[in-house]
Amino acid sequence: MGYSSYSVPYSTRSIPTARPLKNSYTRAVFQAIFIQTLIMNSDSPAIFTASGIHFSYENEKVFSDFSLQINQGEKVAIKGESGSGKTTLFRLLLGFEYPDEGDMRYKEEPYTTQLIQQMRRELAWLPQDLNLGEGTVQELSDFLFGFEANKSQKPSSKRLGETLTKLGLEKSMLNQKYAELSTGQRQRIGLACCYLMNRDILLLDEPTSALDAQSKQKVADLLLQDGRTIISTSHDEWWLERCDRIIDLQPEQ
Amino acid sequence: MDIIDLSWWQLSIGFLILIIPAWILWRYKTGLNKKLGIATVRMTLQLLFVGYYLEYLFELDNAWLNAAWIMVMVLVADFATIDRSELRRKKSLLIPIFAATFFGIIVIDIFFLELVIQLPTFLAAQYTIPITGMVLGNCLRSNVIGINAFYYSLNEHQERYRFYLTCGATRSEAVFPFFRDALKKSANPTLASMATIGLVSLPGMMTGQILSGSSPLIAIKYQIMIMLAIFSGTVLSVYLGIKLSNRFVFFDNDVLDSSILKD
Repeated sequence: MGYSSYSVPYSTRSIPTARPLKNSYTRAVFQAIFIQTLIMNSDSPAIFTASGIHFSYENEKVFSDFSLQINQGEKVAIKGESGSGKTTLFRLLLGFEYPDEGDMRYKEEPYTTQLIQQMRRELAWLPQDLNLGEGTVQELSDFLFGFEANKSQKPSSKRLGETLTKLGLEKSMLNQKYAELSTGQRQRIGLACCYLMNRDILLLDEPTSALDAQSKQKVADLLLQDGRTIISTSHDEWWLERCDRIIDLQPEQ
Repeated sequence: MDIIDLSWWQLSIGFLILIIPAWILWRYKTGLNKKLGIATVRMTLQLLFVGYYLEYLFELDNAWLNAAWIMVMVLVADFATIDRSELRRKKSLLIPIFAATFFGIIVIDIFFLELVIQLPTFLAAQYTIPITGMVLGNCLRSNVIGINAFYYSLNEHQERYRFYLTCGATRSEAVFPFFRDALKKSANPTLASMATIGLVSLPGMMTGQILSGSSPLIAIKYQIMIMLAIFSGTVLSVYLGIKLSNRFVFFDNDVLDSSILKD
Protein backbone atom coordinates (compact mmCIF):
# COMPACT_ATOMS: atom_id res chain seq x y z
CA MET A 1 0.00 0.00 0.00
CA GLY A 2 1.57 3.25 -1.12
CA TYR A 3 -0.33 5.15 1.50
CA SER A 4 -0.12 4.81 5.19
CA SER A 5 -3.63 4.48 6.40
CA TYR A 6 -4.49 2.94 9.70
CA SER A 7 -7.09 3.19 12.35
CA VAL A 8 -6.26 3.89 15.92
CA PRO A 9 -8.72 3.52 18.76
CA TYR A 10 -8.68 6.84 20.51
CA SER A 11 -11.72 6.85 22.67
CA THR A 12 -13.47 4.53 25.00
CA ARG A 13 -16.78 4.71 23.18
CA SER A 14 -16.81 1.36 21.37
CA ILE A 15 -13.56 -0.24 22.52
CA PRO A 16 -13.36 0.24 26.25
CA THR A 17 -9.72 -0.73 26.65
CA ALA A 18 -8.38 1.43 23.85
CA ARG A 19 -6.23 4.44 24.73
CA PRO A 20 -4.13 6.82 22.66
CA LEU A 21 -0.88 5.22 21.65
CA LYS A 22 2.39 7.10 21.93
CA ASN A 23 5.49 6.62 19.77
CA SER A 24 4.78 3.10 18.84
CA TYR A 25 4.14 2.58 15.18
CA THR A 26 4.21 -1.22 15.52
CA ARG A 27 1.63 -1.15 18.26
CA ALA A 28 -0.46 1.29 16.27
CA VAL A 29 -0.47 -0.94 13.21
CA PHE A 30 -1.16 -4.00 15.34
CA GLN A 31 -4.07 -2.31 17.03
CA ALA A 32 -5.27 -0.92 13.71
CA ILE A 33 -5.50 -4.44 12.30
CA PHE A 34 -7.19 -5.57 15.48
CA ILE A 35 -9.73 -2.75 15.38
CA GLN A 36 -10.32 -3.15 11.67
CA THR A 37 -11.05 -6.81 12.28
CA LEU A 38 -13.45 -5.90 15.06
CA ILE A 39 -15.21 -3.44 12.80
CA MET A 40 -15.34 -5.81 9.86
CA ASN A 41 -16.87 -8.42 12.10
CA SER A 42 -19.30 -6.09 13.79
CA ASP A 43 -23.00 -6.51 13.19
CA SER A 44 -23.46 -2.96 11.92
CA PRO A 45 -23.83 -2.83 8.15
CA ALA A 46 -21.23 -0.98 6.12
CA ILE A 47 -22.17 2.54 5.04
CA PHE A 48 -19.08 3.35 2.97
CA THR A 49 -16.61 0.86 1.60
CA ALA A 50 -13.62 1.86 -0.47
CA SER A 51 -11.33 -0.90 -1.74
CA GLY A 52 -8.01 -0.53 -3.53
CA ILE A 53 -8.58 3.13 -4.39
CA HIS A 54 -6.07 4.88 -6.63
CA PHE A 55 -6.61 8.57 -7.19
CA SER A 56 -4.42 11.27 -8.72
CA TYR A 57 -5.16 14.95 -8.95
CA GLU A 58 -3.36 16.90 -11.68
CA ASN A 59 -0.74 14.13 -12.01
CA GLU A 60 -0.13 14.11 -8.26
CA LYS A 61 -0.88 10.86 -6.49
CA VAL A 62 -3.29 11.29 -3.60
CA PHE A 63 -4.27 7.69 -2.92
CA SER A 64 -2.51 4.45 -3.83
CA ASP A 65 -4.35 1.24 -3.04
CA PHE A 66 -6.30 2.90 -0.26
CA SER A 67 -9.06 0.99 1.53
CA LEU A 68 -11.59 1.99 4.12
CA GLN A 69 -14.81 0.82 5.67
CA ILE A 70 -17.18 2.88 7.77
CA ASN A 71 -20.04 1.14 9.48
CA GLN A 72 -23.43 2.34 10.56
CA GLY A 73 -23.43 4.33 13.77
CA GLU A 74 -19.66 4.81 13.88
CA LYS A 75 -18.17 8.14 14.84
CA VAL A 76 -15.07 8.30 12.70
CA ALA A 77 -12.55 11.12 12.64
CA ILE A 78 -10.10 11.61 9.80
CA LYS A 79 -6.92 13.47 10.57
CA GLY A 80 -3.83 14.24 8.59
CA GLU A 81 -1.74 17.17 7.55
CA SER A 82 -2.60 19.45 4.67
CA GLY A 83 -2.37 17.60 1.36
CA SER A 84 -2.87 14.20 2.93
CA GLY A 85 -6.15 13.68 1.08
CA LYS A 86 -8.84 14.49 3.67
CA THR A 87 -10.78 16.74 1.30
CA THR A 88 -10.33 14.29 -1.58
CA LEU A 89 -11.58 11.44 0.59
CA PHE A 90 -14.77 13.39 1.35
CA ARG A 91 -15.18 14.21 -2.34
CA LEU A 92 -14.80 10.55 -3.24
CA LEU A 93 -17.29 9.47 -0.56
CA LEU A 94 -19.79 12.12 -1.69
CA GLY A 95 -19.45 11.12 -5.34
CA PHE A 96 -17.95 14.43 -6.49
CA GLU A 97 -14.83 12.63 -7.70
CA TYR A 98 -14.44 9.16 -9.12
CA PRO A 99 -11.37 7.07 -8.29
CA ASP A 100 -8.96 6.25 -11.13
CA GLU A 101 -9.06 2.65 -9.96
CA GLY A 102 -10.78 0.74 -7.18
CA ASP A 103 -14.23 0.05 -5.88
CA MET A 104 -16.42 2.53 -4.01
CA ARG A 105 -19.60 1.33 -2.36
CA TYR A 106 -22.39 2.95 -0.44
CA LYS A 107 -24.44 0.55 1.68
CA GLU A 108 -22.70 -2.24 -0.23
CA GLU A 109 -23.92 -1.03 -3.61
CA PRO A 110 -21.35 0.17 -6.17
CA TYR A 111 -21.54 3.90 -6.96
CA THR A 112 -23.80 4.81 -9.88
CA THR A 113 -25.41 8.12 -10.82
CA GLN A 114 -28.70 7.00 -9.29
CA LEU A 115 -27.02 5.73 -6.12
CA ILE A 116 -25.14 9.00 -5.68
CA GLN A 117 -28.40 10.94 -5.95
CA GLN A 118 -30.10 8.61 -3.47
CA MET A 119 -27.11 8.84 -1.10
CA ARG A 120 -27.21 12.66 -1.14
CA ARG A 121 -30.78 12.47 0.11
CA GLU A 122 -29.71 10.28 3.00
CA LEU A 123 -26.70 12.19 4.27
CA ALA A 124 -25.57 15.73 4.86
CA TRP A 125 -22.14 17.27 4.47
CA LEU A 126 -21.02 20.42 6.24
CA PRO A 127 -17.93 22.22 4.93
CA GLN A 128 -15.65 23.98 7.40
CA ASP A 129 -16.37 27.62 6.57
CA LEU A 130 -19.54 27.61 4.59
CA ASN A 131 -20.57 30.76 2.76
CA LEU A 132 -24.29 30.58 2.08
CA GLY A 133 -24.51 34.04 0.55
CA GLU A 134 -27.06 36.69 1.37
CA GLY A 135 -30.19 36.33 3.47
CA THR A 136 -31.20 35.85 7.07
CA VAL A 137 -30.70 32.56 8.89
CA GLN A 138 -34.45 31.92 8.66
CA GLU A 139 -34.44 32.56 4.88
CA LEU A 140 -31.48 30.26 4.34
CA SER A 141 -33.13 27.55 6.42
CA ASP A 142 -36.34 27.99 4.41
CA PHE A 143 -34.31 27.53 1.24
CA LEU A 144 -32.68 24.29 2.45
CA PHE A 145 -35.98 22.89 3.67
CA GLY A 146 -37.66 23.96 0.43
CA PHE A 147 -35.85 21.19 -1.47
CA GLU A 148 -38.24 18.44 -2.45
CA ALA A 149 -36.15 15.93 -0.43
CA ASN A 150 -36.41 18.02 2.76
CA LYS A 151 -39.92 19.44 2.63
CA SER A 152 -41.31 16.82 5.01
CA GLN A 153 -38.61 17.70 7.57
CA LYS A 154 -39.21 21.45 7.51
CA PRO A 155 -38.95 22.64 11.11
CA SER A 156 -41.18 25.29 12.62
CA SER A 157 -39.44 28.51 13.61
CA LYS A 158 -39.91 27.35 17.21
CA ARG A 159 -38.08 24.06 16.64
CA LEU A 160 -35.35 25.74 14.65
CA GLY A 161 -34.93 28.27 17.46
CA GLU A 162 -34.80 25.48 20.06
CA THR A 163 -32.11 23.66 18.11
CA LEU A 164 -30.07 26.85 17.91
CA THR A 165 -30.42 27.20 21.68
CA LYS A 166 -29.18 23.63 22.16
CA LEU A 167 -26.07 24.66 20.27
CA GLY A 168 -25.57 27.75 22.39
CA LEU A 169 -27.04 30.30 19.96
CA GLU A 170 -29.76 32.88 20.54
CA LYS A 171 -33.18 32.34 18.96
CA SER A 172 -33.10 35.93 17.74
CA MET A 173 -30.28 34.91 15.40
CA LEU A 174 -32.95 33.62 13.00
CA ASN A 175 -33.53 37.18 11.84
CA GLN A 176 -29.86 38.07 11.54
CA LYS A 177 -27.99 38.18 8.23
CA TYR A 178 -26.00 34.95 7.85
CA ALA A 179 -23.08 36.78 6.22
CA GLU A 180 -22.68 39.00 9.30
CA LEU A 181 -22.22 36.08 11.72
CA SER A 182 -18.91 34.77 13.02
CA THR A 183 -17.40 31.56 11.64
CA GLY A 184 -18.31 29.68 14.82
CA GLN A 185 -21.93 30.86 14.66
CA ARG A 186 -22.19 29.91 11.00
CA GLN A 187 -20.72 26.52 11.76
CA ARG A 188 -23.35 25.85 14.42
CA ILE A 189 -26.17 27.08 12.17
CA GLY A 190 -24.98 24.63 9.51
CA LEU A 191 -24.86 21.87 12.11
CA ALA A 192 -28.38 22.75 13.30
CA CYS A 193 -29.72 22.50 9.73
CA CYS A 194 -27.94 19.17 9.12
CA TYR A 195 -29.32 17.89 12.44
CA LEU A 196 -32.87 18.98 11.62
CA MET A 197 -32.73 17.34 8.20
CA ASN A 198 -32.80 14.13 10.19
CA ARG A 199 -30.04 12.49 8.19
CA ASP A 200 -28.53 9.26 9.46
CA ILE A 201 -25.11 10.06 8.08
CA LEU A 202 -23.24 13.32 8.62
CA LEU A 203 -19.91 14.26 7.05
CA LEU A 204 -18.45 17.19 8.95
CA ASP A 205 -15.40 19.17 7.94
CA GLU A 206 -13.57 20.38 11.08
CA PRO A 207 -16.85 20.72 13.03
CA THR A 208 -15.24 22.26 16.13
CA SER A 209 -12.50 24.37 14.56
CA ALA A 210 -14.12 27.71 15.41
CA LEU A 211 -15.87 26.76 18.65
CA ASP A 212 -15.08 27.41 22.30
CA ALA A 213 -15.07 24.61 24.87
CA GLN A 214 -18.69 25.15 25.89
CA SER A 215 -19.96 25.17 22.30
CA LYS A 216 -17.94 22.06 21.46
CA GLN A 217 -19.59 20.22 24.32
CA LYS A 218 -23.03 21.25 23.05
CA VAL A 219 -22.20 20.05 19.52
CA ALA A 220 -20.92 16.75 20.88
CA ASP A 221 -24.03 16.34 23.06
CA LEU A 222 -26.26 16.92 20.05
CA LEU A 223 -24.44 14.82 17.45
CA LEU A 224 -22.37 12.14 19.16
CA GLN A 225 -24.99 10.72 21.49
CA ASP A 226 -27.33 9.03 19.05
CA GLY A 227 -27.01 6.29 16.45
CA ARG A 228 -26.02 8.53 13.55
CA THR A 229 -22.94 7.77 11.53
CA ILE A 230 -20.58 10.71 11.90
CA ILE A 231 -17.53 11.06 9.70
CA SER A 232 -15.50 14.13 10.45
CA THR A 233 -12.16 15.62 9.57
CA SER A 234 -10.53 17.17 12.59
CA HIS A 235 -7.30 18.22 14.22
CA ASP A 236 -8.98 18.98 17.51
CA GLU A 237 -7.74 16.53 20.16
CA TRP A 238 -10.88 17.17 22.21
CA TRP A 239 -13.10 16.06 19.34
CA LEU A 240 -10.80 13.17 18.33
CA GLU A 241 -11.02 11.74 21.84
CA ARG A 242 -14.78 11.58 21.54
CA CYS A 243 -14.83 9.65 18.27
CA ASP A 244 -14.82 5.87 18.03
CA ARG A 245 -12.06 5.65 15.50
CA ILE A 246 -9.40 7.80 13.95
CA ILE A 247 -8.10 7.41 10.44
CA ASP A 248 -4.71 9.03 10.14
CA LEU A 249 -3.94 9.90 6.54
CA GLN A 250 -0.30 10.26 5.61
CA PRO A 251 0.70 12.07 2.43
CA GLU A 252 2.47 10.05 -0.27
CA GLN A 253 6.23 10.13 0.32
CA MET B 1 -38.76 68.43 -42.66
CA ASP B 2 -36.73 65.83 -44.56
CA ILE B 3 -33.53 64.45 -43.11
CA ILE B 4 -30.27 66.16 -44.22
CA ASP B 5 -28.21 63.53 -45.98
CA LEU B 6 -24.55 63.55 -44.95
CA SER B 7 -22.08 63.61 -47.79
CA TRP B 8 -18.98 61.36 -47.46
CA TRP B 9 -16.70 64.39 -46.97
CA GLN B 10 -18.98 65.72 -44.23
CA LEU B 11 -18.72 62.34 -42.51
CA SER B 12 -14.90 62.43 -42.89
CA ILE B 13 -14.87 65.76 -41.05
CA GLY B 14 -16.78 64.01 -38.26
CA PHE B 15 -13.76 61.70 -37.71
CA LEU B 16 -11.62 64.73 -36.83
CA ILE B 17 -13.30 64.94 -33.42
CA LEU B 18 -11.39 61.76 -32.46
CA ILE B 19 -8.25 63.87 -32.15
CA ILE B 20 -9.47 65.08 -28.74
CA PRO B 21 -10.04 61.68 -27.05
CA ALA B 22 -6.94 60.26 -28.82
CA TRP B 23 -4.80 63.08 -27.34
CA ILE B 24 -6.27 62.52 -23.83
CA LEU B 25 -5.65 58.77 -24.08
CA TRP B 26 -2.07 59.38 -25.33
CA ARG B 27 -1.35 62.02 -22.67
CA TYR B 28 -2.22 59.60 -19.87
CA LYS B 29 -0.36 56.70 -21.52
CA THR B 30 -3.41 54.46 -21.56
CA GLY B 31 -2.13 52.50 -24.54
CA LEU B 32 -5.65 52.56 -25.94
CA ASN B 33 -4.96 54.47 -29.15
CA LYS B 34 -4.09 51.37 -31.16
CA LYS B 35 -7.33 49.82 -29.98
CA LEU B 36 -9.15 53.05 -30.86
CA GLY B 37 -7.72 52.93 -34.39
CA ILE B 38 -8.72 49.31 -34.92
CA ALA B 39 -12.19 49.86 -33.41
CA THR B 40 -12.82 52.93 -35.60
CA VAL B 41 -11.77 51.12 -38.79
CA ARG B 42 -13.82 48.03 -37.87
CA MET B 43 -16.89 50.12 -37.03
CA THR B 44 -16.67 52.02 -40.32
CA LEU B 45 -16.12 48.93 -42.49
CA GLN B 46 -18.78 46.86 -40.71
CA LEU B 47 -21.36 49.64 -41.00
CA LEU B 48 -20.46 50.30 -44.63
CA PHE B 49 -20.97 46.63 -45.36
CA VAL B 50 -24.25 46.53 -43.43
CA GLY B 51 -25.43 49.77 -45.11
CA TYR B 52 -24.92 48.43 -48.60
CA TYR B 53 -26.23 45.01 -47.65
CA LEU B 54 -29.38 46.42 -46.05
CA GLU B 55 -30.05 48.61 -49.12
CA TYR B 56 -30.01 45.40 -51.12
CA LEU B 57 -32.10 43.56 -48.51
CA PHE B 58 -34.71 46.32 -48.37
CA GLU B 59 -34.94 46.35 -52.16
CA LEU B 60 -35.56 42.61 -52.37
CA ASP B 61 -37.67 42.51 -49.16
CA ASN B 62 -37.86 38.73 -49.13
CA ALA B 63 -38.99 37.06 -45.87
CA TRP B 64 -36.63 34.09 -46.33
CA LEU B 65 -33.66 36.32 -46.98
CA ASN B 66 -34.56 38.41 -43.91
CA ALA B 67 -34.86 35.25 -41.80
CA ALA B 68 -31.46 34.08 -43.07
CA TRP B 69 -29.96 37.46 -42.10
CA ILE B 70 -31.44 37.08 -38.59
CA MET B 71 -29.79 33.65 -38.38
CA VAL B 72 -26.44 35.18 -39.29
CA MET B 73 -26.88 37.92 -36.68
CA VAL B 74 -27.80 35.34 -34.01
CA LEU B 75 -24.80 33.19 -34.95
CA VAL B 76 -22.40 36.13 -34.63
CA ALA B 77 -24.06 37.08 -31.32
CA ASP B 78 -23.66 33.46 -30.14
CA PHE B 79 -19.87 33.46 -30.63
CA ALA B 80 -19.60 36.98 -29.20
CA THR B 81 -21.56 35.93 -26.09
CA ILE B 82 -19.25 32.97 -25.42
CA ASP B 83 -16.07 35.00 -26.01
CA ARG B 84 -17.09 38.02 -23.96
CA SER B 85 -18.43 35.80 -21.15
CA GLU B 86 -14.85 34.46 -20.83
CA LEU B 87 -16.08 30.96 -21.68
CA ARG B 88 -14.61 28.49 -24.13
CA ARG B 89 -16.11 27.90 -27.56
CA LYS B 90 -17.43 24.43 -26.81
CA LYS B 91 -20.36 22.72 -28.49
CA SER B 92 -21.94 22.27 -25.07
CA LEU B 93 -22.25 26.08 -24.87
CA LEU B 94 -22.42 27.26 -28.49
CA ILE B 95 -25.44 25.18 -29.45
CA PRO B 96 -27.63 25.90 -26.36
CA ILE B 97 -26.84 29.62 -26.37
CA PHE B 98 -27.52 29.84 -30.12
CA ALA B 99 -30.84 28.01 -29.61
CA ALA B 100 -31.74 30.24 -26.65
CA THR B 101 -30.98 33.51 -28.46
CA PHE B 102 -32.67 32.36 -31.65
CA PHE B 103 -35.80 31.21 -29.84
CA GLY B 104 -35.90 34.40 -27.77
CA ILE B 105 -35.65 36.57 -30.91
CA ILE B 106 -38.28 34.55 -32.78
CA VAL B 107 -40.79 34.90 -29.91
CA ILE B 108 -40.20 38.66 -29.64
CA ASP B 109 -40.25 39.22 -33.43
CA ILE B 110 -43.43 37.24 -34.00
CA PHE B 111 -45.16 38.94 -31.06
CA PHE B 112 -44.22 42.53 -31.84
CA LEU B 113 -43.92 42.49 -35.63
CA GLU B 114 -46.88 40.31 -36.46
CA LEU B 115 -49.25 40.73 -33.49
CA VAL B 116 -48.57 44.29 -32.33
CA ILE B 117 -47.40 46.20 -35.44
CA GLN B 118 -49.18 43.77 -37.81
CA LEU B 119 -46.81 44.15 -40.74
CA PRO B 120 -48.50 44.09 -44.15
CA THR B 121 -45.91 41.60 -45.43
CA PHE B 122 -44.40 38.84 -43.28
CA LEU B 123 -41.02 39.88 -41.79
CA ALA B 124 -40.87 43.12 -43.83
CA ALA B 125 -37.20 44.18 -43.92
CA GLN B 126 -37.75 47.84 -42.97
CA TYR B 127 -39.16 46.79 -39.56
CA THR B 128 -37.75 43.32 -39.00
CA ILE B 129 -34.06 44.07 -39.46
CA PRO B 130 -33.71 47.18 -37.24
CA ILE B 131 -35.99 45.89 -34.47
CA THR B 132 -34.30 42.47 -34.43
CA GLY B 133 -30.90 44.17 -34.44
CA MET B 134 -31.78 46.34 -31.45
CA VAL B 135 -33.23 43.46 -29.44
CA LEU B 136 -30.34 41.18 -30.36
CA GLY B 137 -27.71 43.76 -29.42
CA ASN B 138 -29.26 44.04 -25.97
CA CYS B 139 -29.68 40.25 -25.68
CA LEU B 140 -25.96 39.95 -26.36
CA ARG B 141 -25.09 42.41 -23.61
CA SER B 142 -27.42 40.75 -21.09
CA ASN B 143 -26.35 37.23 -22.05
CA VAL B 144 -22.73 38.18 -21.47
CA ILE B 145 -23.53 39.55 -18.01
CA GLY B 146 -25.94 36.75 -17.04
CA ILE B 147 -24.08 33.73 -18.39
CA ASN B 148 -20.72 34.95 -17.14
CA ALA B 149 -22.18 35.69 -13.69
CA PHE B 150 -23.86 32.28 -13.51
CA TYR B 151 -20.93 30.05 -14.46
CA TYR B 152 -18.16 31.99 -12.75
CA SER B 153 -20.17 32.40 -9.56
CA LEU B 154 -21.03 28.69 -9.59
CA ASN B 155 -17.37 27.82 -10.05
CA GLU B 156 -16.24 30.24 -7.35
CA HIS B 157 -18.85 28.99 -4.87
CA GLN B 158 -18.61 25.30 -5.72
CA GLU B 159 -18.57 24.39 -2.05
CA ARG B 160 -21.91 26.09 -1.51
CA TYR B 161 -23.40 24.42 -4.60
CA ARG B 162 -22.10 21.03 -3.47
CA PHE B 163 -23.41 21.63 0.04
CA TYR B 164 -26.91 22.09 -1.44
CA LEU B 165 -26.51 18.87 -3.44
CA THR B 166 -25.52 16.94 -0.34
CA CYS B 167 -28.55 18.40 1.42
CA GLY B 168 -30.63 16.47 -1.09
CA ALA B 169 -31.14 19.24 -3.66
CA THR B 170 -31.62 18.31 -7.30
CA ARG B 171 -29.26 20.08 -9.66
CA SER B 172 -31.89 22.66 -10.60
CA GLU B 173 -32.66 23.28 -6.91
CA ALA B 174 -28.95 23.64 -6.12
CA VAL B 175 -28.26 26.16 -8.91
CA PHE B 176 -31.36 28.21 -8.03
CA PRO B 177 -29.55 31.00 -6.06
CA PHE B 178 -26.89 31.32 -8.77
CA PHE B 179 -29.60 31.45 -11.45
CA ARG B 180 -31.49 34.12 -9.49
CA ASP B 181 -28.37 36.28 -9.07
CA ALA B 182 -27.47 35.94 -12.76
CA LEU B 183 -30.99 37.00 -13.81
CA LYS B 184 -30.86 39.97 -11.44
CA LYS B 185 -27.47 41.10 -12.74
CA SER B 186 -28.50 40.80 -16.38
CA ALA B 187 -31.92 42.44 -16.01
CA ASN B 188 -30.79 45.37 -13.85
CA PRO B 189 -29.11 47.52 -16.59
CA THR B 190 -32.22 47.36 -18.81
CA LEU B 191 -34.48 48.10 -15.84
CA ALA B 192 -32.31 51.08 -14.92
CA SER B 193 -32.44 52.47 -18.46
CA MET B 194 -36.23 51.94 -18.56
CA ALA B 195 -36.53 53.95 -15.35
CA THR B 196 -34.52 56.91 -16.66
CA ILE B 197 -35.37 56.87 -20.35
CA GLY B 198 -36.49 60.23 -21.71
CA LEU B 199 -35.20 62.08 -18.66
CA VAL B 200 -31.49 61.37 -18.75
CA SER B 201 -31.11 60.25 -22.35
CA LEU B 202 -33.01 60.16 -25.61
CA PRO B 203 -32.72 56.65 -26.97
CA GLY B 204 -31.19 55.94 -30.38
CA MET B 205 -34.25 54.57 -32.10
CA MET B 206 -36.43 57.53 -31.08
CA THR B 207 -33.71 60.01 -32.05
CA GLY B 208 -33.35 58.34 -35.44
CA GLN B 209 -37.07 58.49 -36.11
CA ILE B 210 -37.31 62.16 -35.09
CA LEU B 211 -34.29 62.99 -37.29
CA SER B 212 -35.90 61.27 -40.24
CA GLY B 213 -39.00 63.40 -39.84
CA SER B 214 -41.36 61.28 -37.70
CA SER B 215 -43.59 62.94 -35.16
CA PRO B 216 -42.19 62.62 -31.62
CA LEU B 217 -45.47 60.96 -30.60
CA ILE B 218 -45.01 58.17 -33.14
CA ALA B 219 -41.37 57.94 -32.10
CA ILE B 220 -42.20 57.44 -28.40
CA LYS B 221 -44.77 54.73 -29.20
CA TYR B 222 -42.09 52.82 -31.09
CA GLN B 223 -39.61 53.49 -28.31
CA ILE B 224 -41.97 52.12 -25.65
CA MET B 225 -42.55 49.06 -27.79
CA ILE B 226 -38.86 48.51 -28.37
CA MET B 227 -38.10 48.83 -24.64
CA LEU B 228 -40.72 46.18 -23.89
CA ALA B 229 -39.24 44.00 -26.63
CA ILE B 230 -35.69 44.49 -25.35
CA PHE B 231 -36.56 43.74 -21.73
CA SER B 232 -38.62 40.65 -22.55
CA GLY B 233 -36.12 39.43 -25.13
CA THR B 234 -33.12 39.80 -22.83
CA VAL B 235 -34.74 38.06 -19.84
CA LEU B 236 -36.01 35.26 -22.07
CA SER B 237 -32.67 34.69 -23.79
CA VAL B 238 -30.67 34.75 -20.52
CA TYR B 239 -33.16 32.36 -18.93
CA LEU B 240 -33.08 29.97 -21.88
CA GLY B 241 -29.31 30.34 -22.32
CA ILE B 242 -28.61 29.20 -18.75
CA LYS B 243 -31.40 26.62 -18.69
CA LEU B 244 -30.39 24.96 -21.97
CA SER B 245 -26.62 25.09 -21.42
CA ASN B 246 -27.14 23.58 -17.94
CA ARG B 247 -28.15 20.35 -19.64
CA PHE B 248 -24.72 19.93 -21.24
CA VAL B 249 -22.09 21.38 -18.90
CA PHE B 250 -22.43 19.12 -15.87
CA PHE B 251 -21.04 15.63 -15.40
CA ASP B 252 -23.45 12.90 -14.40
CA ASN B 253 -22.44 13.38 -10.72
CA ASP B 254 -23.66 17.02 -11.01
CA VAL B 255 -20.14 18.48 -10.94
CA LEU B 256 -19.66 21.48 -13.24
CA ASP B 257 -17.34 20.79 -16.18
CA SER B 258 -14.88 23.56 -15.38
CA SER B 259 -13.16 23.15 -18.77
CA ILE B 260 -15.84 25.50 -20.16
CA LEU B 261 -14.25 28.34 -18.17
CA LYS B 262 -11.14 30.17 -19.28
CA ASP B 263 -8.24 30.02 -16.81
